Amino acid sequence: MSIITNKETRVVIQGGPAGVSAAKRMAEFCHLSQIPFNVFVFPPSAGKTNEIAFGSTLVSVPIFKSVAAATEVFPEINTSLIYIAPNRAFAGTMEALDAPNIKLVSMITEGVPEKDAKQLRIEAEKRNKVFNGPSSIGVISAGESRLGVIGGSYDNLMLCKLHRQGFGVITKSGGLSNEIMWICSQFADGITTAIGIGGDTYPGSDFVTYLEKFEDDLQTKVVVMVGEMGGDLEEKAATWFGEKKRRIQLIAVVSGYCQEQLPKGMKFGHAGAKEGLHGEGSARNKAEALKAAGAIVPDTFGGLGPAIKAAYEEILASGALEGKEELAPRHLPRTIEETIKDGDVFAEPLIKSSICDDRGEEPLYNGYPASELIDKGYQIPHVIGLLWDKRLVTPVEAEIIKRIVILSADHGPCVSGALVTIIGACAGISMAQAVAAGMIMIGPRFGGAVTGAGKWFSYGVKNKMSVDDFLTHMKKNVGPVPGIGHRVKSLRNPDKRVKSLIAYVKSTGIPTPHLDFALAIEEKTTAKKDTLILNVDGTMAAILVDLRFPVDALNGFFILSRTIGMIGHWIDQKREGSRLIRLFKYLANYTSHKKRAVPPLDS
Amino acid sequence: MAKVLEGPGMRLLSKWGMAVPNYVVITEAAQIDNLSEANPWLRECKLVVKAHEALGGRMKLGLVKVGLDLDGARAAAKEMIGKAVAEVTISQVIISEMVEHDEEYYLAVTSTRDGAEILLTSMGGIEVEANWEKVKKLAVPLGADPDMQALTDLAKDAGFDEALLPRVASFANKLFKCYDQEDGSYLEINPLVRRSSNGELTALDAVTMVDGDARFRHPDWNFNFASEFGRPYSDNEKVIMDIDSKVKGSVKFIEIPGGDTALLPAGGGASVYYSDAVLAMGGTLANYAEYSGDPPDWAVEALTEKVCALKGIKRIIVGGAIANFTNVKKTFSGIIKGFRKAKADGKLEDVSIWVRRGGPFEKEGLAAMKVLEGEGFDIHVYDRYTPLTDIVDYAIVGGGK
Repeated sequence: MSIITNKETRVVIQGGPAGVSAAKRMAEFCHLSQIPFNVFVFPPSAGKTNEIAFGSTLVSVPIFKSVAAATEVFPEINTSLIYIAPNRAFAGTMEALDAPNIKLVSMITEGVPEKDAKQLRIEAEKRNKVFNGPSSIGVISAGESRLGVIGGSYDNLMLCKLHRQGFGVITKSGGLSNEIMWICSQFADGITTAIGIGGDTYPGSDFVTYLEKFEDDLQTKVVVMVGEMGGDLEEKAATWFGEKKRRIQLIAVVSGYCQEQLPKGMKFGHAGAKEGLHGEGSARNKAEALKAAGAIVPDTFGGLGPAIKAAYEEILASGALEGKEELAPRHLPRTIEETIKDGDVFAEPLIKSSICDDRGEEPLYNGYPASELIDKGYQIPHVIGLLWDKRLVTPVEAEIIKRIVILSADHGPCVSGALVTIIGACAGISMAQAVAAGMIMIGPRFGGAVTGAGKWFSYGVKNKMSVDDFLTHMKKNVGPVPGIGHRVKSLRNPDKRVKSLIAYVKSTGIPTPHLDFALAIEEKTTAKKDTLILNVDGTMAAILVDLRFPVDALNGFFILSRTIGMIGHWIDQKREGSRLIRLFKYLANYTSHKKRAVPPLDS
Repeated sequence: MAKVLEGPGMRLLSKWGMAVPNYVVITEAAQIDNLSEANPWLRECKLVVKAHEALGGRMKLGLVKVGLDLDGARAAAKEMIGKAVAEVTISQVIISEMVEHDEEYYLAVTSTRDGAEILLTSMGGIEVEANWEKVKKLAVPLGADPDMQALTDLAKDAGFDEALLPRVASFANKLFKCYDQEDGSYLEINPLVRRSSNGELTALDAVTMVDGDARFRHPDWNFNFASEFGRPYSDNEKVIMDIDSKVKGSVKFIEIPGGDTALLPAGGGASVYYSDAVLAMGGTLANYAEYSGDPPDWAVEALTEKVCALKGIKRIIVGGAIANFTNVKKTFSGIIKGFRKAKADGKLEDVSIWVRRGGPFEKEGLAAMKVLEGEGFDIHVYDRYTPLTDIVDYAIVGGGK
């Protein structure tokens, strides 16, 4: 048994993300108590559903654009939870109060104007409905229903034995309702229903509203009430309790004695926790009224545990709880992550990463935090070294890499990669698509010879081949030497970029066996034909192999560098407002068959 | 409930048709010269100069000067502005005309659960407290307007002369309108006077409390709310209020100089039980503080720094009930950062720290707090199995682990 919410409760949640998290918490409770989960929400994205974990399955929670739309599809909805911002909370609550089948509306929204809260209480009373809140953490009936996040985490639900019933609880404070449930589970038999009425000055429902309902709920033997200074709700509860012989026992605590020693008018606790203008509503007045009415009133919050224990032992002695069924709680299924963390399962990884680890606060590049690399002045060449070859390159190596990137960054609009990117940009495709199209051009004839050149130069050096043997080997088994030869550049018209790069590398004094080998090859090949020079791909390849970069990484230097240029060309076309282009017909040499008659189709 | 200072409070009354004395608010004494050209009353009337701050007992502090002429008012303003009183610097003064009057009345509207109550007596001024039983009350249900006949009867009941009844009833009706339309919590005019010159009812002094939560529907509320406890907010309090206004959840902080026990508890409800426990155990409070609604860790860190900076504290109570949705690990990480920073700044010498908490990620949060034990902090960490306020007993009387 319970009050105001039970196994028959069907909920519509009004509000966005906060409402969805409440739905998740409510599904956890339903799992614990082994009852079906039945919640409907209407945040803004009407027509969609929200997937809420329920045990080890997902439940789709439908979303509507209004309470009326939700209740039309699900007439069994009898409760609404308000998770709407203060300026729209009034209208949202009215919508719920106007739905014929909704009997209970509970509002978690804080900071609702007092006038609105007062009006909502009156509107609810007119319709003979219950309006709980504002600022209410929610309502929970052990083993039956949870409205909102009251009760907190799943571990706490289990510790507080919320899957089964015991005492009744009413509090003003959300945090303290949890605390009382915990005390009730330690010193007694758990709770029947716990209600946070909210700490506002004028809560929609007061202690008396719920005391009356608890009085009628035979399962509830004792009600624990947590009050605080301000207002007269505790006094009204005392009057109600003292009026006549009540079935329930009442244990109450009140806070706010500190007010007697604090600066007058100082604000603390909840909005409603304020002294009256003429001293009414003090903690002492309230405690005395409750005591006079026959309630058990411990002097401090710490006195609650023993008081609850004594009351529980009395009930036990009376035999009222004999024959009560004990129900075991259910654990929440753990996520794969949790079971792995606890060492309960072994999951074989699908992929492997030996260069970058993003499981911490920030990515680690081969173990070094990215921010620390930045702070200590490292540059892009160092990042390339870490991610491509798992090492921090030396300052000289970094400078060489930087020069390679600069000299390969672009080569004008006419080369394959840039041209395709430009055509793409003019056709209106996105940067990623256009640059990817340019990238597709990189291959044996355009920019893609670096890896090939590196591969064969290292083959020659590794096998200590003479240049002649090497060239013979290449001619016989491979074909033209990658990295040798240029379409326009020649011995007499040298590539300045190549000359400058070689000059710099030589000036550093690092050992350059591959570069030397390549230059020796060039000497032989140019003797045969002027244009068979060591081109930019070959130069880069020889130098990068000298820097000990793995052969498979070498094309990456061209791809990376040229991406800068391609992105530039795409942006350039966009900025200049280029239009769709097509080739002029005179640029195409039409060599296909002259026009002729189509023969009939053979049957 | 939020307090509005005299100047903007008078403007609200005037907006709803109630006569108030002429007044100006100035931040520099010299402003009075230009103002006196535009406002003849400044030259022609006797003047009152008051510090325009949320300070209690201004009369005793010499921050109210009456019966001045323009030169006297300028001198008084010059003396007050910039003056440091009780750790507060006066930044503005209100200069108003002295209204010659014969009798003083009392009129107020206060919010009740069912609507409002109008309070009225013809014995106003300083006598009202002593004659509280003579104050007559009229309840007005929510959504209703007070009945003019009922207001007239109220005025008659409250001891007003027959001739005055219609004017008093009409004035009360205006105050009710102001209360109702401006989301008032409590409006009090004391004294309400009759001008000797023309007999016009005038609100000489007023307490104006409105519902701060209703600010969103009052675009013309261009004033800041003032503190309600007899002194303006301190700079430290303003820093936390500013953070509070920007974050999800809340952080609250009020300083109480001279206390030996600092509070850093979670939750509006629990924080008051902790305050009670400190006083019950014979401690004195150095502050009131509270964080709730899962505020970001940096906001809790800022609050922690302010708490650690409180002068003369012997202990800090980091209490809290079992949270519903506040992440204990995350909020504690803010507190821990704050503690470490304070220690590095040489604070927290001879200060013991007492922790009790439960809620989501409580194990992780409490374990992180326990790490401070090894860093030279005098810290004592308890979990949900220690009752809520027992740490206060341990902290002040002893007996903890």
